[in-house]
Amino acid sequence: MMRSSVPLLLVLLAAPAWAGIPADDEEGDCLGCHSDPDQSVDLPSGERLPLYVDREVFAKSVHGEALRCTECHSDKTGDHATGEVPFKTRRDVTRAYYEQCKGCHFANYTKTLDGVHFAVMAKGNEKAALCVDCHGAHDISRPGQPRTRISRMCSRCHSAEADVYGKSVHGRAAENTSDVPVCTDCHRAHDIADPRDGALAMRTPEICGRCHTDEKLMGRYGLSTNVVDSYLADFHGMSASFQKGLRREGGRRLAAVCTDCHGVHDIQKADDPNSSVMASNLQRTCQKCHPGASETFPKAWLSHYEPSAEKAPLVWMVKLFYMVFIPFMVGGLTLQIALHLWRVVVNR
Amino acid sequence: MSNAYVVRFSLSQRVEHFVTMVVFTLLCLTGLPQKFFDTGWAAGLVSFFGGIDSTRWIHRVCGIVLALSTVVHFANGIHTMLSKKVGFTMVPTRKDFEDAILQLRYYLGMTDKHPQYDRYDYKQKFEYWGLVAGNIIMVATGFILFFPTETAAFLPGQVIPAAKMAHSNEGLMAFLVITIWHIFNAHLNPDVFPFDGSMFTGKISRERMQHEHPLELARIEGRPVGDGHGGTGPGHGSERDVG
Repeated sequence: MMRSSVPLLLVLLAAPAWAGIPADDEEGDCLGCHSDPDQSVDLPSGERLPLYVDREVFAKSVHGEALRCTECHSDKTGDHATGEVPFKTRRDVTRAYYEQCKGCHFANYTKTLDGVHFAVMAKGNEKAALCVDCHGAHDISRPGQPRTRISRMCSRCHSAEADVYGKSVHGRAAENTSDVPVCTDCHRAHDIADPRDGALAMRTPEICGRCHTDEKLMGRYGLSTNVVDSYLADFHGMSASFQKGLRREGGRRLAAVCTDCHGVHDIQKADDPNSSVMASNLQRTCQKCHPGASETFPKAWLSHYEPSAEKAPLVWMVKLFYMVFIPFMVGGLTLQIALHLWRVVVNR
Repeated sequence: MSNAYVVRFSLSQRVEHFVTMVVFTLLCLTGLPQKFFDTGWAAGLVSFFGGIDSTRWIHRVCGIVLALSTVVHFANGIHTMLSKKVGFTMVPTRKDFEDAILQLRYYLGMTDKHPQYDRYDYKQKFEYWGLVAGNIIMVATGFILFFPTETAAFLPGQVIPAAKMAHSNEGLMAFLVITIWHIFNAHLNPDVFPFDGSMFTGKISRERMQHEHPLELARIEGRPVGDGHGGTGPGHGSERDVG
């Protein structure tokens, strides 16, 4: 099974008393074997496990100056090449080592326990992403440099979503600016929520609002920052406020949130002909939840505008009427009560 | 006097009031949290009613009961009038406006003449017609909000947010008018404090009738009614003439 095992054995024979690898020249000792680009192990699965470590790549990685080999490969001793390989597949190798990260990165490791990748892994999905699947192993660099690398990393498994995202208003701009979100800005990195039960969707007013209520950021694109407030003031937003934290289970319908109208990965500018909130597409968008919605039905939604004489005269007039009428009525009645009580006091 | 009590409200009137009271309270408890959705008390009330969906269903059922009770009320009223048993005592008359002015002058100390009221005084008529108008607005806009797609099939879409604006504000006003005006007149008013039970027992003491509705009492007892501006009746908070 061992391919280049002869030189390895020679090394081992030359130093039979090794119990561990001396720290001062550990790298050199390990690379004594692992610098051979052709060195690999055939696993029972038929996969070939390369044993080569590129010294240059590791030196440039974030850990290059900080970690020694055995800090992650803590079970390795000088004679490990003689033992049986305990792994059946390459995935087994990855799974065996990913927990090493938590020794230093405990906070982020703990977050992954709440994440969807851990949840599906616990259910037996071996492909579920582990630390090294996203961060790499010997070549780990600072995440988000450049930010688009994050989306590219996710796209290795989630290619369909990544393709759609790449064509969206956010995805198209991501190459040129850091103003737009990449995957982890909405989904988070370590405690990624399962998007399928609606709980993530119910958080979109807050998630989208982080950028879309930022005056400075939206100012660059001439976008309104009133979108969240105007949404919350409407029926959907009010309902969604009460449904925070609920999941779409047992046939429960949840109120429409940002993504139900604007799309998820396929969000476009509102004036883009492909946008689901483009006026000509709106009826179809409403019909997703309101079957039978007529052509005029989308006008029930004021498109994030405050009611005004121009935008929604009928709503504006009703609002104005009550702004005058309620204080007049309540004030008048209160005044009469006050006068009544005053006369009672005078009579006594 | 032979009668210590006068029967003021029939059983069906009392039942109607009771139903309206219960339904109105529930409508406020399930409706106002939707208007003030971002407050802590709203979240508490909604979760008390089992979440926003069940809160809305309670609200809708109560709304339908209120709509039906309004229909029953008018059917009864029209039937009673057609059978000529009584006139429609709730209709505002010229005297009501004169009463209102006299009452305000009395409050302001400009006169010691107090208006003499018939079966319903102008305040009660005002509250009644306010409730009727409010009910019509609330039921109409409520159904628009209950069936938005159906509404938009034959009305402009903007009617729906307009209905929401009206429903929300009219509801708040109804709540304020009832808590301020009705609670004062039926509970905190020194003449009835702490509780005017006549709407629940149907009975009112002859003494209070003499004090609050002298013209109706005179009619019941077959005495001449007069013009109602007599002004010798007892004012608020003064010693009552014990009949």
